[in-house]
Amino acid sequence: VSNAKLRLTRRQAIGIAAGGAVGAAGLATLGGHLLGSKSTLAAGSGTSWSSPLGNARGLAAHLLRRAGFGYTSSDLDSAARMKYSDLVDSVVNQSAQSLPAPSNLSSYTAVSQAWLQHMATTSAQFPERMTLFWHGHLTSDYRKAAQLPFVYFQNKLYREEGTSDLRTLLNKTTTDPLMMSYLDLTQSSAAAPNENYSRELMELFTLGVGNYSETDVREGARALSGLRIVIYDKSGNRVPNPKRGTGSNAIQQYYAAISQLAQSGAVWKGVLVPKQHDQGSKTYLGKTGNLAPTDVIDTILAQDACAPFITKAALTYFAVPAPSDSMVKTIADQFRSSNYDIKTLMRAIFTSSDFTDQSNYRSLVRSPADYVVAAMRAIGNTNLAAAALKAAPAMDQILYDPPTVAGWPQNGAWLSSSSVLARLNFATSAVTATSSYPSTSDAIATQLDNVVGPDMANIYNTSGSDGDRWYAILGSPEFQLK
Amino acid sequence: MVTRRDFVKSGLVAAGAGIIVPPVFAKSIFAANADGNQNNRVLVILQLGGGNDGLNTVVPFADPAYGNARPNIGINGDQALRINNSIGLHPNLTGIKALYDEGQVAIVQGVGYANPTYSHFEGLYVWEHADPTRAQTEGWLGKMLATQYDTNGHPLTGCALGEAGTPAELSAPQVQVSVIDSIATYGVQGGQGRTIAAPALYRKTPGIYGALFDQSMNTAEEGISALAQTGSKYKPMADYGTTTAVYGSKNDLATALQLTAELIVTQPTVKVCHVVLGGFDTHQQEDTRQAALLKDVDVAVSAFMKDLAAQKMADRVVLATWSEFGRRVTENGSNGTDHGSAAPMFVIGAPVKGGLLGEQPSLTSLVDGGNLQYTVDFRSVYQSLIRDWLQADSGAVLGGTFPNVTLV
Repeated sequence: VSNAKLRLTRRQAIGIAAGGAVGAAGLATLGGHLLGSKSTLAAGSGTSWSSPLGNARGLAAHLLRRAGFGYTSSDLDSAARMKYSDLVDSVVNQSAQSLPAPSNLSSYTAVSQAWLQHMATTSAQFPERMTLFWHGHLTSDYRKAAQLPFVYFQNKLYREEGTSDLRTLLNKTTTDPLMMSYLDLTQSSAAAPNENYSRELMELFTLGVGNYSETDVREGARALSGLRIVIYDKSGNRVPNPKRGTGSNAIQQYYAAISQLAQSGAVWKGVLVPKQHDQGSKTYLGKTGNLAPTDVIDTILAQDACAPFITKAALTYFAVPAPSDSMVKTIADQFRSSNYDIKTLMRAIFTSSDFTDQSNYRSLVRSPADYVVAAMRAIGNTNLAAAALKAAPAMDQILYDPPTVAGWPQNGAWLSSSSVLARLNFATSAVTATSSYPSTSDAIATQLDNVVGPDMANIYNTSGSDGDRWYAILGSPEFQLK
Repeated sequence: MVTRRDFVKSGLVAAGAGIIVPPVFAKSIFAANADGNQNNRVLVILQLGGGNDGLNTVVPFADPAYGNARPNIGINGDQALRINNSIGLHPNLTGIKALYDEGQVAIVQGVGYANPTYSHFEGLYVWEHADPTRAQTEGWLGKMLATQYDTNGHPLTGCALGEAGTPAELSAPQVQVSVIDSIATYGVQGGQGRTIAAPALYRKTPGIYGALFDQSMNTAEEGISALAQTGSKYKPMADYGTTTAVYGSKNDLATALQLTAELIVTQPTVKVCHVVLGGFDTHQQEDTRQAALLKDVDVAVSAFMKDLAAQKMADRVVLATWSEFGRRVTENGSNGTDHGSAAPMFVIGAPVKGGLLGEQPSLTSLVDGGNLQYTVDFRSVYQSLIRDWLQADSGAVLGGTFPNVTLV
């Protein structure tokens, strides 16, 4: 394929379909959730994207965009040759590739940049995508935790356990040092249990409001009291926590000591200290006894609300902005009966009609992290992590700095005057920093499925260089969607 | 009626693409509001994210129940900046105390609503949508802008400053909100070709997000154009400070309020601005963390008011604070406090009738296992901000009337 300027044909450019009665009804349903008003969109929507999900290549691309961060044309060629259910299996069964500890664990920039780079370069795209999903769902804020090295540990945990089972993931998250610091478990004691983690564990992580009482929050806090962060070396021997001094560079010295320990293979985790733990009887979500943190997780997983809550979160993130109750129930039943096997959950989502239905084409907005990594992979330049970090604040997503403990709002909430500009400006950074461009005509076919609206076609066709054409591709609304 | 922008846009698309686009892609922003509210008054909303502890902000130091509930993190009568014999401000609110003494600060005590929720997200939703039942879908300020201001073609009417996402309070489908994280990055980079190409990529975007994409880009394009004509006229006339103890980073709120002042001074269309400072969810180490955050608030708000006065704009601006909830009366074992209910609001500015309003809730007659019973419905405060300050229709926004609180 030559890299010469390709004139988009009328057929490609009209890659949008007039919305008929069926389309308009579908839009109203989706749009009502996104913009908060059903009437607005129902009245106004006249066009929708022409969906390529009916053919194997279109559906494979749809999966690779959502289960990972993007692909090359040869990735897509081989994926499109597979039977769809086999392709889903091969994606879901990918084993994570570890991210070696950056040399300076006390640098937010170094750790975040290493992660973005890993998202762009790892061939194990699905486990990396799940790492980002769990970072949003079981979220933590590096600033509040004020323990920068812990960021890397939590990132590693979600990569290692993000596709295993929910029980293991929740138990390890409860004793993860970043989470313990973020949601105030580190000083919670029998004498004074701290409610923060207990509440958010139920409200935001597993059950949702309405499925627990304020008493459950307090009793859960008692059951979770007494966890303290302990360091073990790689042989499993306990290591004393580095002392934090009081001098002018005390914090740097402290972080350096932690970094050094981490490089040597030491691990940090929460352990239950009996004299700090409330040993009394608690009644939590209907279960009574001398409950400990693992009992809290077991009790939560025994609630009927848990599997639907997680399923809905995953369906919303991966498949459709507003999943139907019936789809949530069907998949939640499979998830729970698999003993909360995350691969089972994800396989069910990727093969569900909520995922594969033609109307779900471009129904999700790429998050800023998703967008910058997809752009790096599409333009074939994976050295853009520094530029991506710089662009992150105005795009409204700084990794490990979520706006609230609910993580980031999605889809339409990503779009503001600031964030749309910042995405286009990142496209300029990416184009400027890249010296050798992949074929633009191939990118139209591979990255945009040959489904291009009139605005994009106009700018693309009037662009005078490959750089300008790549700007049109990466900056287009088509590329912001998946 | 074809608006100026409709004409420009359709012209560009038709000439540029040379293909037929469905003629009616009726986006909400094309439905212009007839006549907007025409006065020059500005409302600035300062959100204290995470649930600010009201009892350590406006301190009932003389109440023995306060000292009993707060043995470790309580503020005593010697430390508090006294405004009378029983109530004082947090020691770090020196600038706001000075404004209070000048009669420019109304402190509304005990603000909340019936059957409070202790969830951040439910609480946020209630305050953002002015609806304790959480049925409304439009933000209260968005609804006001949509129905009572002409934002169409005036993208700098509702602004969110120092942040990158549209705050829910300002969010409504018919409203253009200019979201400006930093003035330095609010522009199309890469030269003239990009300046033309960027907005042209977002004229008639198909799909369920099309209107939102195009509205966002259009708002940016028009806002950049307006700022380019007038932006350089502003020079800050107060010291907004640069450093803070919070997270060892700069005072982001001061930066955001300086940007707010710049927009108010240079852009006569500005009516409603939103700024936010997070970090108030002080379950642990509240004594040091809240103190640092309140210091940021004090420095930023004081500089903002001083700047506006020096710019001769003080009579145009009222600033109001809110937070999704106050915190539990009794401190926890981590030198912090857990989620609570009612808390005070500050309304600040030269037009404000200063003083202590409302009633401090009892610290002994508590609800929901240790929380304050509210004394003033938060919508009473909203009502006065809309009706008495902005001179807009509060009933249309709030869906009813509430007991009067006189702020201006």
